[in-house]
Amino acid sequence: MALNLNCPICGPRSGYEFRFGGEDKGPRPAEEGATTALWLAYAHLNRNVAGVQREWWCHKDGCGTWFRVCRDTVTNCEVPTVDTL
Amino acid sequence: MLKRSTQPKRLWRSAPLKPAYDAVVIGGGLHGLAAAYFLASRHGMQDVAVIEKRYIGYGGAGRNTAIVRANQRTSENVPLYKEALDMWPRLTRELDFNLMFYNCGNLNLAHSEAALKAMRLQTATAQFHGVDSRLLTPAECKALIPALDITDRPKYPIFGGMFHPPGGIVRHDAVVWGLAKGASARGVHIHQDTAVTGIEVQRGKVAAVQTSRGRIATPRVLNAAGAYAAALADHLLDIRLPISVLTIQAMVTQPLKPLLDHVISSGGYHIYANQTLKGEIATGAHMDRWPNYTTGTSAYYIKHQAEALTDLLPCLQGVKFMRTWAGLADMTPDMAPIMSGNDPVQGYYQDCGWGYFGFKSCAAAGKYMAQYMTTGTCPEILAPFDPGRFAAHRLMGETAALVNYSADN
Ligand SMILES: Cc1cc2nc3c(=O)[nH]c(=O)nc-3n(C[C@H](O)[C@H](O)[C@H](O)COP(=O)(O)OP(=O)(O)OC[C@H]3O[C@@H](n4cnc5c(N)ncnc54)[C@H](O)[C@@H]3O)c2cc1C
Ligand SMILES: [Zn+2]
Repeated sequence: MALNLNCPICGPRSGYEFRFGGEDKGPRPAEEGATTALWLAYAHLNRNVAGVQREWWCHKDGCGTWFRVCRDTVTNCEVPTVDTL
Repeated sequence: MLKRSTQPKRLWRSAPLKPAYDAVVIGGGLHGLAAAYFLASRHGMQDVAVIEKRYIGYGGAGRNTAIVRANQRTSENVPLYKEALDMWPRLTRELDFNLMFYNCGNLNLAHSEAALKAMRLQTATAQFHGVDSRLLTPAECKALIPALDITDRPKYPIFGGMFHPPGGIVRHDAVVWGLAKGASARGVHIHQDTAVTGIEVQRGKVAAVQTSRGRIATPRVLNAAGAYAAALADHLLDIRLPISVLTIQAMVTQPLKPLLDHVISSGGYHIYANQTLKGEIATGAHMDRWPNYTTGTSAYYIKHQAEALTDLLPCLQGVKFMRTWAGLADMTPDMAPIMSGNDPVQGYYQDCGWGYFGFKSCAAAGKYMAQYMTTGTCPEILAPFDPGRFAAHRLMGETAALVNYSADN
């Protein structure tokens, strides 16, 4: 399914130039005192929302920037950022 | 003259939705129908319901490219897939329904020394488990498929191949219909157009399932909702799984005279293909690079597929694609499935994360999940598939390369 994304540096580009970087799960857990459960959740567990989710992307075949966008996983379209997610 | 009957003969009966069942299976796909069939046929469970949101076979069950084989990579996986492969002829007889098992063999191509080395390990693992799998030279590959270009002209020249004679193709719709027929004949109720919307838990145990057509009391439920299983587990029970859902596409060409007698696949080109009994070349392999639930196809992959196919098999140049479609694949970080039960909720079982291996495995997975749900104890063969392996970071080595849908690679 086709996808276009807005790179904060390069603007709108074909989705195939980007690498998906996973669901946005908040900041990386601090090494100190981090439990197995915390690392498991951060590294592997997903919500798999059917709808709008905030996620990481990298403009791999472009400027190399990592950034976050909101995308609807049912329509596969980028949507304006929702702060409550 | 053929006599046309006025009433189409149904393979399975419709039944009223009862307020209570011994077991409820979520999803009328391959794994749900297989588990229900074995619950009724092997464990004498009288009251089993399969709850299907759309119609049976709506998910991956009706969209896959029907390839079966047993030469997986690891010792935990091979025995399960071997048993599943061995079951097709027996199930055909048992269900009294032709599953059209065509054991034409699978040829997997290597395009580098490194790929050949990996195949050497994979064939050794297969042979250790009694699965027929052998390494072939490029000339031997060409003897099997004369249309292959084994010169050094292609972008990725052929270094050798791995041939797995007992694998092949099974008619995927027939598996859905046959299992539904067998399950229904043994008393299983199949409820289509019915969505599971909730799971009631009382004192840590499953008590009931809520559906779009009412509440069903039950002590055990199997989540076999395929690509929707992970979202469902999160939504209904707050159980998060290490799954990413990606769209996977497939397509068929116009029918041709016989030219491809085996299933052929290539990791280098990211492609697999076989010739159907109608003569079409059925081909696929690509997943979208990002999770989505669209089941949409794209020009990008049709172009890729055409380029790869014609580089491997130049005689296909100019042949037209007739049809393209897509379904969803529930991928795990190690490309091995998740099967578990009674954790953290007693009576809750899950069988998912099959990615694009869920057709070939369904008979064995259904058989053992049925045993698990009857006895409450995990059968030994399923123990490695517990999701606890991700917490321990002991991922299985079923992936050939790092997966790109997971954030940690
Ligand atoms: C294009 C493509 C090619 C493939 N090729 C192969 C192949 O060659 N070989 C192979 O082994 N595998 C292949 N696969 C993978 C295989 O099809 C899947 O792994 C398999 O279908 C999984 O079976 P399942 O029973 O878990 O899920 P499914 O068959 O998808 O069934 C799940 C069912 O659950 C239902 N459901 C969802 N939510 C609910 C709810 N809330 N309530 C009730 N019901 C619900 C759905 O409607 C669906 O019918 C392919 C997949 C695709 C998409
Ligand atoms: Zn950029």
